[in-house]
Amino acid sequence: MAELVCVLVAIICAVQAIRAERLLHSALWLAGASAFIAMIFYSMGAREVAIIELSVGAGLVTILFVFAISVAGDEHNVGRLAVPRALAALLAGLCAIGLLWFASGVVSIVPNAPQSTGLTQMLWRDRALDTLVQVALVYTGVIGLLGLLQAGRTEVDVHHTEQSEIQSQHDATPQAERMHG
Amino acid sequence: MNLPPVAIAWFGAMILFGVGLYGLLVVRNLIKLVVALQILAKAAMLAFVAAGYAQQQMGLAQSMIALIIVADTVVAVIALALAVQVRRRYGTLDVRQLTALRG
Amino acid sequence: MAALLIALAIALPWAGALAVWVAGDRRPRAQHGLAVFFAAAGGLCGLGLLGVPSSETVIRVPVGGVFGDFTFVPDGLGIFLAAIATVIGSMAVLFSVEYMKGEAQLGRYYAFVLLFIGAMAGLVLTSSLLLLFFFWEITALTSYALISFHNDDPKAVAGGIKALVITQLGGIGLLVGALVAYVNLGSYDIGLFLARSHSLPPQVLTVIAFGFLVAAAAKSAQVPFHTWLPDAMEAPTPVSALIHAATMVNAGVYVLARFSPAFEQVAGWSTAVALVGMVTALLAACMAVVTDDLKRVLAYSTVSQLGYMVFAIGAGSALAGSFHLLSHAVFKALLFLGAGAVIHAIGTRDMRQMGGLGRQMPWVSSMFLVGACALAGIPPMNGFWSKELVLETALGHGAWWGFVALLVGAGLTALYTARMVWSVFFGAPRAHHHAHDAGPAMRIPLVLLAFGTLTTWLLFGPFAHMLAEVLPGVHDESTLAFAVHVMTDPATWLAMGIVAGGLLLWHIRARLAALVGRLSLAAQVAAEGFGFETVNRFVTQAVRSTATALQRTQTGDLSWNAVGIVGALILVLILLAWGGIP
Repeated sequence: MAELVCVLVAIICAVQAIRAERLLHSALWLAGASAFIAMIFYSMGAREVAIIELSVGAGLVTILFVFAISVAGDEHNVGRLAVPRALAALLAGLCAIGLLWFASGVVSIVPNAPQSTGLTQMLWRDRALDTLVQVALVYTGVIGLLGLLQAGRTEVDVHHTEQSEIQSQHDATPQAERMHG
Repeated sequence: MNLPPVAIAWFGAMILFGVGLYGLLVVRNLIKLVVALQILAKAAMLAFVAAGYAQQQMGLAQSMIALIIVADTVVAVIALALAVQVRRRYGTLDVRQLTALRG
Repeated sequence: MAALLIALAIALPWAGALAVWVAGDRRPRAQHGLAVFFAAAGGLCGLGLLGVPSSETVIRVPVGGVFGDFTFVPDGLGIFLAAIATVIGSMAVLFSVEYMKGEAQLGRYYAFVLLFIGAMAGLVLTSSLLLLFFFWEITALTSYALISFHNDDPKAVAGGIKALVITQLGGIGLLVGALVAYVNLGSYDIGLFLARSHSLPPQVLTVIAFGFLVAAAAKSAQVPFHTWLPDAMEAPTPVSALIHAATMVNAGVYVLARFSPAFEQVAGWSTAVALVGMVTALLAACMAVVTDDLKRVLAYSTVSQLGYMVFAIGAGSALAGSFHLLSHAVFKALLFLGAGAVIHAIGTRDMRQMGGLGRQMPWVSSMFLVGACALAGIPPMNGFWSKELVLETALGHGAWWGFVALLVGAGLTALYTARMVWSVFFGAPRAHHHAHDAGPAMRIPLVLLAFGTLTTWLLFGPFAHMLAEVLPGVHDESTLAFAVHVMTDPATWLAMGIVAGGLLLWHIRARLAALVGRLSLAAQVAAEGFGFETVNRFVTQAVRSTATALQRTQTGDLSWNAVGIVGALILVLILLAWGGIP
């Protein structure tokens, strides 16, 4: 029963995260969805990753969002959508139903399944390559972030040339209209 | 109304997946696009938990989820940093105005 | 001990790459120093590895049940190539100190060079097909990045992309071969693959064998994939010496040598390899005769010499191929670095604007002459001994057509070498250059490599002993016995006669003017690359026009792109439902 409540609340949070008009609200709704998903994990026995999800997914990522929003500024884009809502809903629904049907065999309960191995053993012995890949991923993330922040630091010098470039392209490509916000 | 936890988690994962996909298609703000991506990743994690629970393979499922969390966080970091840069350079976060690749 | 040396040979250059990057482009002196230090340390580890050959797995990194273990084996074939990569790598880095002085973005340059050295050492030392593929791709990436190092020059960028695309074709061949082997054996271990290759179904082994042949041909610039190497000469010259002459292009030869014991049973494989090598050796030699760009001449000669090695492996003697690889790596690195010193001094690569530089650059010209003699196959340089061994293989294994072709190739080699040396260092100066001779940072590598060119053939005995433990069919022979049997072989004297004929041909070129005039059409065809460039251009054009046509479908709108992704997912689901997979 607890699972049902958690899932429903998580879905509501997710819908609100998409619907919210302000970015900050959107990020907070996402954190809520993350927290409730972590609760489902916990109640279904995935204890370790529940904690990780709660601290990383609901904590760290939200802080990142807030930081990015405070740097980039909020912006509410109104106007016509590129993809009609009805088409988007149809495609998303089709995908979800297709996947639901496709993997239904996987979630049917196996009566005599082999006893599960613990997470630590899994991570360090059976799937050691994953752990290596994760290290590489984190490293890549750090390097990428450093590069981007560095690009931000020299922004002052670049900005002028960049703006004049855009200005010159402006006449040639009418769709490159820029919003100064 | 006595659904097993697996079914609840599985249906929940699919609905979250649909919500995330819908968001990916209709959202116009770059940062909100990252929110939609996060929802998609959470749906995938939930699906792993459901499958792991059903197959009594929670260790394997958890190691997969750990990988997803790491990858997803790195994606969020990079995507947000890119969004900040885009905002600085082009003055907008609206994907409808960032159409430099128009053929 | 061996485990430590292997780890250091790979990790030291990589750590150096990181250190150079951390040092930052504002401190070029520190970058030069760090790069030389880490490269030299890696070189020492590479040399140290020569002392501890073993067929045992000395490093085993367990990565879980799915991918097998990541293993490293310091066997004879691997350690000699690792030593070449790290030692010549450190020479090239030392040479760069002077060559790249004052260049911008040194960090990028050194980081990629060091990354390459480490990856090359790993490529030859690993015994996991998967890891082999990873290292293979890292070398391709660094090669691309260094060819396009001057990324404001469109020719350099085009050359880099060409190299990347063509070597990627080879990479796909390697990946397919590795995956097919994995599917059939359940392991990526190379030793296991070689031991159990007899139990594989013939069709499967054929797919693997020809997949690896495509990989080797693309990496080692063999016909029909040879066109990328001459265009790769836009790279800074030390990079050409290291990557495009001494090490990376040998990776293909290494793969062929390593797997030849398993693939020899595949019908047609040996003949195909020998044919590819022979055709490449001849075509590239012809192109070298008519090219006027100093580095392109050297590039074509590299392609041609690689053809010799590939032919030797196809003809059944991996020993001859590997021995020529060793000689070639040393003397071609010497030639490239010498050419680099010349280009650095006068600022052009066009041989028509050189001439008479011997008097202004006595150091460089004498060292270059040593390398040129080895290339032409004049005793007692190492190139002579190894080339004779290749020719002897051709004769000994009943491939007389190969023998004849390679003899002609040896004559052509002598001809273009004479032409190159003459137009650069002798004759009347054709333009006024104030050339300065090489400085100390350039001299040390040149002298060391020249010394190597004169002496590496003396190592034949230990070399054969080392390979005999790895490759079946290689018999141990002492250096003395080898020298005696080469010198008493009539084929050797025939080959020396042909080489002398090639040199003579250049000497009497004035009297042959009429004949040369009549051959100008053939020369033009050769200069155009025998039509392979046309094929390349056609493929590029076709891809480009298709892309232009498809460009109209791009709205540039992210939402519509996402619709495309979701639509594809739905399509996949429908297809799966059709097949009734679950």
